[in-house]
This record gives sequence, structure tokens and C-alpha cells, in this order.
Amino acid sequence: MSGPVAFLTRRGAAALAAWRVWRDTARFAGRAVAASLSPELYNSATRTVVAKQIYFTAWQILPGFTLFAALLSFVLIQIVVSTAANYGLSEYALEVSMRLLVLELLPLITALFVALRSSSAINTEVALMRIHNEIDALEAAGVDTMRLEFVPRVIGGVISVLALTAVSGAVALMLAYLAVYGPQWWSFPDFTRVMAKVFEGPIMLGLLAKTLFFGLAVTAIPVVEGLATPRKLFMAPISVLRGMVRLFFALMLIEVASLALKYT
Amino acid sequence: MLVSAELPLRANLSVLENIALIPQYRQNQRFDPAADLAWTMLHHAGYGDIAFKRDPDLTHEERFAAKLLRAAAADPALLVIDRPGMLLPDTFAPPFVAALLERTADHLNACWIVEYVWNKPLYPRPDPSR
Repeated sequence: MSGPVAFLTRRGAAALAAWRVWRDTARFAGRAVAASLSPELYNSATRTVVAKQIYFTAWQILPGFTLFAALLSFVLIQIVVSTAANYGLSEYALEVSMRLLVLELLPLITALFVALRSSSAINTEVALMRIHNEIDALEAAGVDTMRLEFVPRVIGGVISVLALTAVSGAVALMLAYLAVYGPQWWSFPDFTRVMAKVFEGPIMLGLLAKTLFFGLAVTAIPVVEGLATPRKLFMAPISVLRGMVRLFFALMLIEVASLALKYT
Repeated sequence: MLVSAELPLRANLSVLENIALIPQYRQNQRFDPAADLAWTMLHHAGYGDIAFKRDPDLTHEERFAAKLLRAAAADPALLVIDRPGMLLPDTFAPPFVAALLERTADHLNACWIVEYVWNKPLYPRPDPSR
């Protein structure tokens, strides 16, 4: 084969392989969502896996993450408030900082945080399970691994991302109030009026959908990548590397799609 | 149900959890009764001390016992032990396997041992009355 043809063949094969992985991810995510809605999924074993996933993904990091979210929110709110004051636009400071933080930055940062901490661990664990044949061993013992191992992780991951986003959003709201109105209560009605304007029904639905997609991405992508790992130990780090890169692109894609839907 | 070198324990679960998982999942039991069953099986087999160990911390004999008990926890009609000689490389396998099967007889129905043909002379002739 000549040079250009060989090059195009390789590129085509790579594109097809990438397409297959994305298709498998979408298929797995669809199956996981459908399974999570079925009461048959839940028994004591699956509930234990869900609880463990929430513990490791959300509960263990809660103090550190809340502190980080508070610090980031405080700095960004101060920047927005002082910049708005410089341009004589103080009345928009609260609205702008809430749109920036609660609707856009905090959900994305939460998803990235969970991705770095838990998705890499899930990817590694599933890849090692596949390499060491543990998945086949469970299936041979009559255990449905999709139901016991993978779907509960997705459920736990989605709940964790939703919970951490809610906590960081609540902290940002509190700090924004303090930054704009100071430590007093009588401006609370004004604050709630601005919040009602920012967090309208469709916007909240969009935020919920985006966070759900983030939660699905941070668990479904590492699971599928782990399951696609060839049964060779040296492939484990490559699997994690691929999974994390794909996850990063997926998170950015969800964020960009959300922005495009909201602001165009 | 198969006990085999190709079917490992879950590495991130203790031996107790590996065994309890089977009744938990297959018979929809809560964790406590499933763990009680696993405890009982481990004690009957003489391996109560490995309950909280994980796979990488087990000796070949302990791993074999854990795999056998995990398989037995499913209450299978037939248990097949695939090449015990490979699972127990540092042990004279036939008497060890026989003693373990004797101690776990309450949880087992029929059991077949599939072994390398060159290990056949190591095994006693089966007693037709059992």
C-alpha cells in the first residue's frame, strides 16, 4: 500500500474504533439508566455497592471539596463584585456571579474533581477486574456483574456529582449574599428576588440535566473503557489514560452544549 | 459451579464478603444473614482466621479454601474442582482437598475433581458407597 493510502487506512481504522467506543459508552449509559429505574436492580448487595460508591466519591472528599469550593467562590465573587462596582454596574454583580458560579463553573469543577478522584479509580479497578478475569468469575458464580458491579457505580457516581454540586452551589449562594449585602438579614427579600430571576424553571431543569450528564459521564466512560481493556496487565495504564482523555472531552462537550442551548 | 485457577476471588473484597456475596445476590439475602452463613462455612472448614483477608494476602491453601467455599455458598448441585494440582502448587493436593471436602460436606452435594492425568495415581480410588 502506498504512503497516503496506508495513512488514510490507519486513520479510518482509528476513527472507526473511536466511534465504536463512543457508541458502546452511549449504549452502556442507556442500559444503566434503564436498569437504575427498575426496582429489580436493588437488593442488599447492590445497595452496598451504591453506598460504598457514594462514600468514596462524595462523603470522603466533602470537607476538602467544600472548603475549596468556598475559597474559589469567594475569590470569584469578589472579582465580579469589585469589577462591576468599577464600571458602575453593581446591581448586576450578584446575578452575574451566580450565573458564572452556580450555573457554569461549580458543576463543571465538581465533575472534574470527581473525574480526577473517582473515575480514574473506577477505570483502573474495572480494567484490573477484566485483566484478572474477576468479571468472568463473578458471572460463573451466577452474579450479574452489570447489575452488581457497574450500574450501582453509575448510580452512586450520579448521586455524588448531584450532591457535591448542590453543596458547592449552596456555599456559593451564601458567600455571594455576604459579599454583596454583608452580614445582615434585611436584604434577604432582595436577594431571593434576584435568585428567582437567575434560577428560573427551565434554567434549573437545564442545570439538573447537565449535572446528570456529568454524573453519567464520570462513571459510564471509565467503566466502558475498563471493560474494553485487552487482557494484558501492561494495558491497564493505557486504558486509564484513554478513559481520562475521553472523559475530559465528554465533560467539555456537555458544558459547551449546555452553554450553546442556554445562550443562543 | 467451578473452582478454578481461572476464576479468581474479587480482589477488593475480603474472603467473608466474597462468600457472602453469593447468597446476597442469588438468594436476595441481606448482608447479615449472608455474612453469618459465610462465617459458619469458614469456621467449619477451619479457616475462620482468613475472613477479613483479601486475595493478595492469602496463601495458596487459603485461596483454594475461599474459592471452594464461595462456590459452595451457591448450593450447587455439582461442584467441579478444576486441576487442584495447579491451584495448590506447594501442597500435596489429594489429602488436603479430601480433608477440606470432608469438613465442608454439610454445604456440598456432588463434587467432581478434574485433574491432570499424570496426577491420577495420587488420588485414592473413589469409594462407591459415598
